[in-house]
Amino acid sequence: MIDQFAFLIAEGFKSFYRNKLASFLCVITIFINFSILGSLFVVGYNTGSLVDFFRSKYSFEVFLEEDVDKDIYLEFVEQLSENRIISSTEIIDKEKSASIFKEEFGEDVVEMLGYNPLPLSIKVFINEENFDFNQVDLLIESINSYDFVDEIEYRGKYIDDVEDRINLAIFLFLVFVIAIIFLSYQIISNTINLSMTNRKDFIDILKYNGASGLFIKIPFYIESILYSLFGSIFSFLFVKYFFISFNNYFGLNIKIDDYLWLWIIGFSIFIGLYSSNQSMKRNLNE
Amino acid sequence: MVDFKNISYSYSKESGIYDIDLSVKDGEFCFLVGPTGSGKTSLLKMIYFDILPSEGELDVLGYNFKKTKRAKIHKLRKKIGVIFQDYKLLQQRTVYENIALPLHINGVGRKKIKDNVEEALELADLLDYQNKYPNQLSGGEQQRVCIARAIVKNPELILADEPTGNLDPTAAHKILRILEQINKEGTTVVMATHNYKLISDRDYRIIELKEGSLVSS
Repeated sequence: MIDQFAFLIAEGFKSFYRNKLASFLCVITIFINFSILGSLFVVGYNTGSLVDFFRSKYSFEVFLEEDVDKDIYLEFVEQLSENRIISSTEIIDKEKSASIFKEEFGEDVVEMLGYNPLPLSIKVFINEENFDFNQVDLLIESINSYDFVDEIEYRGKYIDDVEDRINLAIFLFLVFVIAIIFLSYQIISNTINLSMTNRKDFIDILKYNGASGLFIKIPFYIESILYSLFGSIFSFLFVKYFFISFNNYFGLNIKIDDYLWLWIIGFSIFIGLYSSNQSMKRNLNE
Repeated sequence: MVDFKNISYSYSKESGIYDIDLSVKDGEFCFLVGPTGSGKTSLLKMIYFDILPSEGELDVLGYNFKKTKRAKIHKLRKKIGVIFQDYKLLQQRTVYENIALPLHINGVGRKKIKDNVEEALELADLLDYQNKYPNQLSGGEQQRVCIARAIVKNPELILADEPTGNLDPTAAHKILRILEQINKEGTTVVMATHNYKLISDRDYRIIELKEGSLVSS
């Protein structure tokens, strides 16, 4: 049994080495495809961080009526602080508003008008964890129902738009990923096809001597694993060192998943086995 | 061992084999004769289920063609050694490697492979050629390699399809003598040939085909 297995493995390697040019081209193609795929994976992995970054900046501002009683709004702030989707609040009183105005526009509004028309407001920061736009919408709706609330400046929709764009980009990435997977499938399948055509005599002799379908297939499975393995190892190393260099050069912090190697190599082998199996089914008329 | 009952198979309107009734007994040596296109190769291919009849009943070594699933045909083939007119040897492998191939398929261990291959090489008078490649051998020698490959797994049945077709009379007689020796050791042999001269002085059963039909058996 061990001798038989050793024979099959040796046949797989022989097949790989005999079709040197086809093997080389197949490995190169897998390398290119999985380098693109790996890069997309890294980009996709970091997209989540980008969304988190936007969300961490997410806040809204509640402007109160002119005549609101201090006790009322302090109690209101306390209520807000107890809400689990709110991380913190900041009261911006009329004086602070005036100083912000001066900072932003360079004019002293009190001096200009003779009184301070700026409203009292409360800045509300949303908790990053368990972030849900629907909950934020509900919260804003409930805040709006208070009599002493004049207006709410709500920038969540902008972030929502940004997220929509990111999601569109992810969708386009996925389409691209599917195209790359299909291309890899075709390349491996055609290379195995070529290999089987080249070794038709060998396959016929195996068949006439009583080899089972699996026995005939195993060397070609091994051959496809070798294509996938070499192509994907090179592509993993390329992707990893490309992003490390990119980070160093631009001073960025693009994160690389610890299991990137497993994704790239595992996925490549899966595609290799699947495509070679389909190719063998066609060739062996199964 | 081999039972054909009203077997028919057609490639096209004009060619095929028709209504064959035939049995080959255990330990028998028989010749399958007839002109080119008479259906000899088709009949042999049916025995190892390479082509399957469109009508009739066929049993080979206990395998019925209707009851045997496609995925199980290899089990029957393990019991049959096939010798081809065009040798079907792997040119990039040595004589030894070519002969050892069926044993690898059967999962035989390395030590036993060595013993069996040497035995087959001796029977086929090829001991001095084991490290040579097929393209370094004459036609007769290549055919002997093919015979050694067929017998190395000790099959119950040997099917030889025109094994002397490409050989000179001396080489052809040598091949025939080897097949006779294999038969004497108990293996059933069915040999297709159109060389009547070669078999005329042998006292074996002759099955004659003409245009796909059985003329005599």
